[in-house]
Amino acid sequence: MWLRSASFVLDKRLQQQEPSSYDPRDPAQLPPPFPSVNPMDQNPNPNHGISAYYQTRAEHHAVVTSDWLAQAQAAVGRDAAPSSGWPFAAASSSSAARTGSVGVGGKPFSVIDEFNYWRKKPDLAEAVAAIMALAAVIRSSEATTMMELEIELKKASDTLKSWDTTSISLSAGCDLFMRYVTRTSALEYEDFDAAKLRLIERGEKFGEISLKARRTIAMLGQDFIFDGCTILVHGFSRVVLEVLKLAASNRKLFRVLCTEGRPDRTGLRFSNELAALGVPVKLLIDSAVAYTIDEVDMVFVGADGVVESGGIINMMGTYQIALVAHSMNKPVYVAAESYKFARLYPLDQKDLAAALRPIDFGVPIPLGVEVETSARDYTPPQYLTLLFTDLGVLTPSVVSDELIQLYL
Amino acid sequence: MPDVQALVNDFVLKLKRRKIEGSHASARHTAELLRSVISHQRMPYMNQAGALIDAVKAVGEQLIAANHVELAVGNIVRRVLHIIREEDLSSTATGIEGLGISAGSDDDDEGQREDRPALSAAALAAAARSTLRAPSLQTLLEDIPDSAAAPQPPSSGGDSEGKSKSADKNLRSRKLKHDVIEAINELIQDIDTCHEQISEQAVEHIHQNEVILTLGRSRTVKEFLCAAKEKNRSFRVFVAEGAPRYQGHVLAKELVGKGIQTTVITDSAVFAMISRVNMVIVGSHAIMANGGVIAPVGINMVALAAQRHAVPFVVVAGSHKLCPLYPHNPEVLLNDLKNPSDLMDFGEFSDCMDFGSHGGSPLLHVVNPAFDYVPPKLVSLFITDTGGHNPSYMYRLIADYYSADDLVVKRSYLLSVLLMTGTLGIRINLKKLRTAEENFANSIGCWCNKPVEAPSSKTLAFIVQI
Repeated sequence: MWLRSASFVLDKRLQQQEPSSYDPRDPAQLPPPFPSVNPMDQNPNPNHGISAYYQTRAEHHAVVTSDWLAQAQAAVGRDAAPSSGWPFAAASSSSAARTGSVGVGGKPFSVIDEFNYWRKKPDLAEAVAAIMALAAVIRSSEATTMMELEIELKKASDTLKSWDTTSISLSAGCDLFMRYVTRTSALEYEDFDAAKLRLIERGEKFGEISLKARRTIAMLGQDFIFDGCTILVHGFSRVVLEVLKLAASNRKLFRVLCTEGRPDRTGLRFSNELAALGVPVKLLIDSAVAYTIDEVDMVFVGADGVVESGGIINMMGTYQIALVAHSMNKPVYVAAESYKFARLYPLDQKDLAAALRPIDFGVPIPLGVEVETSARDYTPPQYLTLLFTDLGVLTPSVVSDELIQLYL
Repeated sequence: MPDVQALVNDFVLKLKRRKIEGSHASARHTAELLRSVISHQRMPYMNQAGALIDAVKAVGEQLIAANHVELAVGNIVRRVLHIIREEDLSSTATGIEGLGISAGSDDDDEGQREDRPALSAAALAAAARSTLRAPSLQTLLEDIPDSAAAPQPPSSGGDSEGKSKSADKNLRSRKLKHDVIEAINELIQDIDTCHEQISEQAVEHIHQNEVILTLGRSRTVKEFLCAAKEKNRSFRVFVAEGAPRYQGHVLAKELVGKGIQTTVITDSAVFAMISRVNMVIVGSHAIMANGGVIAPVGINMVALAAQRHAVPFVVVAGSHKLCPLYPHNPEVLLNDLKNPSDLMDFGEFSDCMDFGSHGGSPLLHVVNPAFDYVPPKLVSLFITDTGGHNPSYMYRLIADYYSADDLVVKRSYLLSVLLMTGTLGIRINLKKLRTAEENFANSIGCWCNKPVEAPSSKTLAFIVQI
């Protein structure tokens, strides 16, 4: 399968042989018999049939009903007053409080809880949440050597990854942070405590890095928007929104076509945001893309993950839009932060862990009829024109170059 | 300094009047001008690289604004900026190594800035070098320089130097300037000799009995073909004449002079002949960062014909043509409208161009665009002085030649206008300025046959009038 390299399999086996020796959560537990799965391996996610990643996305960006929308808007208005936008100021203290209570409260520290706490924040990308969670692991760790710490981190990141195998940015974030921990040269010059502090600090700064990345992308991307152009947008992407926001605030005159984005209807939410900016928006049903592509000047999409081939994995429907745009010679631009670059090389659509989600058809489905519930598809690099990332404007082939440089 | 300013003004005027045209000439002149700017620049005690960069940027801005299609000018300005940054870095690194870690003051200062207690010179140099490189995944999580240090990371190394011994310092200051001028000399030499390096590769690409098609006249293409001929390859060349300047005729004559079997065809015959062609080799005006090519008009048509018949489309270009910018609407914005008299005789058609009869606009328009934009997917191979490259590989060359901070030299013209008006005490509404610019851009966009100037220079003039 896509994640399993040979070394990865070896790691797993090691874990299975001595599952409890490093397990900080339950030292009294006996090693389980070999065939049964180790508690860490067993998917702790209660409903892992449904992609947690897309569940969260739906919670953050989807529209359920119109009155829900109004409700949400009112809620946002109320929230905005006390906490001024950026969650970190309040969050760092609360996370300290939570980690402080680990010893006292008896509830053991769990990466997954930590991760879930961070991912609840709608402004935070999944990779950022993962890195924050790993930073919390370092904080609560009692390791005394770098090696111990690394092993602990590796375990935590494996747990996180196995908790939600469908989230590409989660695994990309974990990999990136692990890579930083193992190869950063700065750590060689310091004693262990200082190194630990530095790691925690870098991890917590990552939220800022991600915000800065979004701003950089917006700066780069808005150059490509010219006056009088029509942009087709698919799905709800915070980066794309940021690009369009900046372009609008620079008084560029453009029009946006939003696809509806079934079944989450994320496009409705997106059009709502754009309308608030005063940008002319038109909503399309997902199947109207080919019909309207004639009047479109460029396609803008975000990405859940950018893979080694330079292609992207994104919300269902991106591939077909890219195909349509390609056949009509329209440029397809992808806006994605570089921490979404993942070490995957999907060969075709089915070469990915399935990310399933429930789809509401409004009417009961007749017995014996199957439903395709996959939430995402893979768009090969030849259908993409350029990627806007915080590393600069890249052609798809640069992505593999960057990844090779990092993981070589 | 005044004589340098005169030189700059003279060059700007020549660029505006299209007295200097072509990427080779303008690149060379720019490099020479910047060399004299640097050699006349007085070096301050501290932050010398910063001073040089500022001086070059100030001149570079004027040059780039003078002629927006002569992209080689901007390329050379950015190359020189990159050279200064690199030389500064290497002198800092060797300086620190030379002083040894015994000079405690240096390290204290660095330690304070970098927040690392003890750093070896090598690590410091590596860290500093990473600021020059384009951002990458590797450095994503590493320390970002604090916002105070961010705008000019290399020069802050210069600051710390300032605190070391002054005699040593003086020597090094002269050395920085000297090194930079040396490097610019090398750059000029590279610009001059790029043909040779490119044509050295000719035998690898041109094979026996092949048929090669080219359009117009490019010196690089000529040298390329001649080099293959000198190595005793026998091949045939189709030369499309390249209307309206018919430079192809000149090329055909030159090729025949070298003993190459040559056929001249009209531009419109390209498609008819392309099925017999083994390879298309053309020159270019500029190569953009996405691998797109700005080339003499007519080449896009050739590229499309080549694609239709799966004929390799090869672009030869010296590295001074490599532009780190992405083309936005290149067909209009990176184009120049030439004199209509190239197309037709004004005397014959003067009555069609009567401005009086139809509400001030004549019925006959003559448009003579100078350039074509060839999208990257139509190009099979770029041959530069460093070898053959795929269009998608261009970013890599660009990362080698330019530093990421310098890409925006051009964009700051609006800012400089604002600064200028600020010093004159005139308050100007940014919005007003933008709309004025847009109006002007629109008026260019409608392809009129009036002589068109760069929007930036016009806007500048417009502002100055106020």
